[in-house]
Amino acid sequence: MATLETTLMVVILVPLLFAILEFGWLTQRWLAQDGVTLQAARYAGELGGDRPELRSYVQDQLRLVGIEPSRVSIEVEPAYVAWRQPVRVSLRTDERIAIPFVFATTITVRSTAVARGEVSR
Amino acid sequence: MMRDDGGTAAVTTLVMLPLLLIVLVGVLELGALRAVAYRATAAADLATIVAVGDQDQAELVRTGTLRLAPDAVDTARDYFARNLSATAPVLAASAEEIAALADVASFPTAPSIDPRTGARYDRPTVRLIASVPVRTPGFAALLLPAVTTLTIRSASSPR
Repeated sequence: MATLETTLMVVILVPLLFAILEFGWLTQRWLAQDGVTLQAARYAGELGGDRPELRSYVQDQLRLVGIEPSRVSIEVEPAYVAWRQPVRVSLRTDERIAIPFVFATTITVRSTAVARGEVSR
Repeated sequence: MMRDDGGTAAVTTLVMLPLLLIVLVGVLELGALRAVAYRATAAADLATIVAVGDQDQAELVRTGTLRLAPDAVDTARDYFARNLSATAPVLAASAEEIAALADVASFPTAPSIDPRTGARYDRPTVRLIASVPVRTPGFAALLLPAVTTLTIRSASSPR
C-alpha cells in the first residue's frame, strides 16, 4: 500500500514541482529578453536602423542577462530607418522545457519593441 | 495496540489536492499578471521616452533650449499602442483602445506640477497613466474577476 501511495505521490508531485521550476525559468528568460529588446529598439532608433553596433550591443546585453546570443534570432524592421519613422526590433528564442511524466516541448519566446528613428539624415 | 494506517496518505492527498490546485492556479495567474504588468509598464516607458526624444527643432535652433515637440502627446499614445500590442492576446481590450483612453499629458515647460499626481517636473516631461484590462481566466476559475485592471504610470524627461 505504501509503495502504491508513494508512486502516486511521485507521479503527481514531481511534475508539479518541475512545472513550477520550468515555467518560472521560462518567465525569467522572457522578461530578461524583453528588457534587452526594449533597449535594443531605443538604440536602433539612435543608430538609424540595423547596424553592426546594434547587433553587438544586443549580444552583449543578452550575455549579461545569461542568455546565449547564438540561440537568439534578431530582426530589425526596417533595416534603414528615417527620422521619426518607427523601427521594430524583435528577438526570438526557442526554449526547451521538460516536465517528467507529462511532456517535453519547445516554446518560442518572442519579444518585440517599437521605437522611433532619431537620426535626421 | 496496532493501528492500520494504510490509505491515510491517499485520503489526505485526495482532500488536499483541490486546495493545492487552487493555490497553484492562483500563483500561476498572479505570476502571469505580474509579467503582463512589467510588459505594459515597459511599453509605457518606451512610449514616453520616444515622445520626449523628439524635440521642437525650431525652438532648439532659436533658443538652444530643449522643448517638447508639439505632437508629443500623440506620439506617446501612438507608441504606447504599438508596444502594448505585443501583449494583445492577454488584454481584454485592444491596444489602440487602451492607448486612446490613457491619460497622457505633456508638460513642455519646467518647472511644472502635475495636477493629477502632484509630482513636480524640473524638466519638460511627458506623463502617461493608463488602465490596462487583463484577462485572468485562472482567477475566473476561482470565482474571482475574469478581468483584472492594472494601472500603469510612466513619466519621462529629456536630458
